[in-house]
Amino acid sequence: MSLTGNNNYFDNFEVGQVMKHVRGKTMCENDNVGITLQVLNTADAHFNEEAVKDSFGKRLQFGGVTISMIIGLTMQDTGENAIRELGLNKIRLKSSVFHGDTLFAYSEVLATKEVDSQSGEITFKHWGVNQNDDIVFEGERRVLIKRKIA
Amino acid sequence: MSEDDFRQRAIPVIKGNKFEDFIEDQVFEHHWGRTITDGDNTGFSTQTLSFNPLYFNEPYAQSMGHDKMVVNPLLVFNTTFGMSVEDLSEGGGLFLGVDDCEFIEPMHVGDTLTARSTVIKKRISKSNKTAGIVTWRTQGYNQHGTLVIQFLRTNFVRFRDPSTATEASS
Repeated sequence: MSLTGNNNYFDNFEVGQVMKHVRGKTMCENDNVGITLQVLNTADAHFNEEAVKDSFGKRLQFGGVTISMIIGLTMQDTGENAIRELGLNKIRLKSSVFHGDTLFAYSEVLATKEVDSQSGEITFKHWGVNQNDDIVFEGERRVLIKRKIA
Repeated sequence: MSEDDFRQRAIPVIKGNKFEDFIEDQVFEHHWGRTITDGDNTGFSTQTLSFNPLYFNEPYAQSMGHDKMVVNPLLVFNTTFGMSVEDLSEGGGLFLGVDDCEFIEPMHVGDTLTARSTVIKKRISKSNKTAGIVTWRTQGYNQHGTLVIQFLRTNFVRFRDPSTATEASS
């Protein structure tokens, strides 16, 4: 029995490979307001419509939710067989996200490094785009992934 | 509204800091702390499509050498970040980016996270007359005092006094 896929082990990734992750996610109030408050983020621009009436006009999605959702959209293809997430770098939020926007994710394999017979490290570059194809997110991520045992 | 109406008598309980309040090397020990429950972790992971069963299948996590389910590192990141917001960025200003985020030690459900931050750098932006740019190093610790995550966060931070923009650059 295998609980995880067979085509996303360390050995399956090649430098230069670019993936479009096929599922999108429409951002709901529940995603932004729910996660913002779940993680104790007290900035009310994310959950108080009156506070942003004269600036954004509507509640702004917390960037941490955008980061998590884009990396989540990539996860089955890039981290389903991860042993550990190692780190993130050069994370940039390129444009604002609001309730009702739909996000999609892309990934490129930047580097692969064999660690031992059981595992290897992959560096991905991820992009997030909205329904208008505006880039909302970009950043790098390092993941320790299982190797295929022959 | 009469003068003794509660709304006339009320004084706002202000939260957050402004650009002028930050000094390089200043340290903030952030409020509250947060025990990460099963519900937090499974809910967050499935809601964000974070489909690695380490985060929501206990026997699988055990088969990978863990006693309990692993807390999704992005939940560790968001919670550490969240607890830092009142001190660092609730005063207003866009979140610009994160660099050098390291997931140092895995957390498991039932573990408790606390956060602290250090002011690394502050500067005036040429293009923004209402806010400067501040970078902090934020660190998250588990209940044993072990560092589990650290990252650099950069935000616009609103000026208390708009003349700060010109004073600091003159």
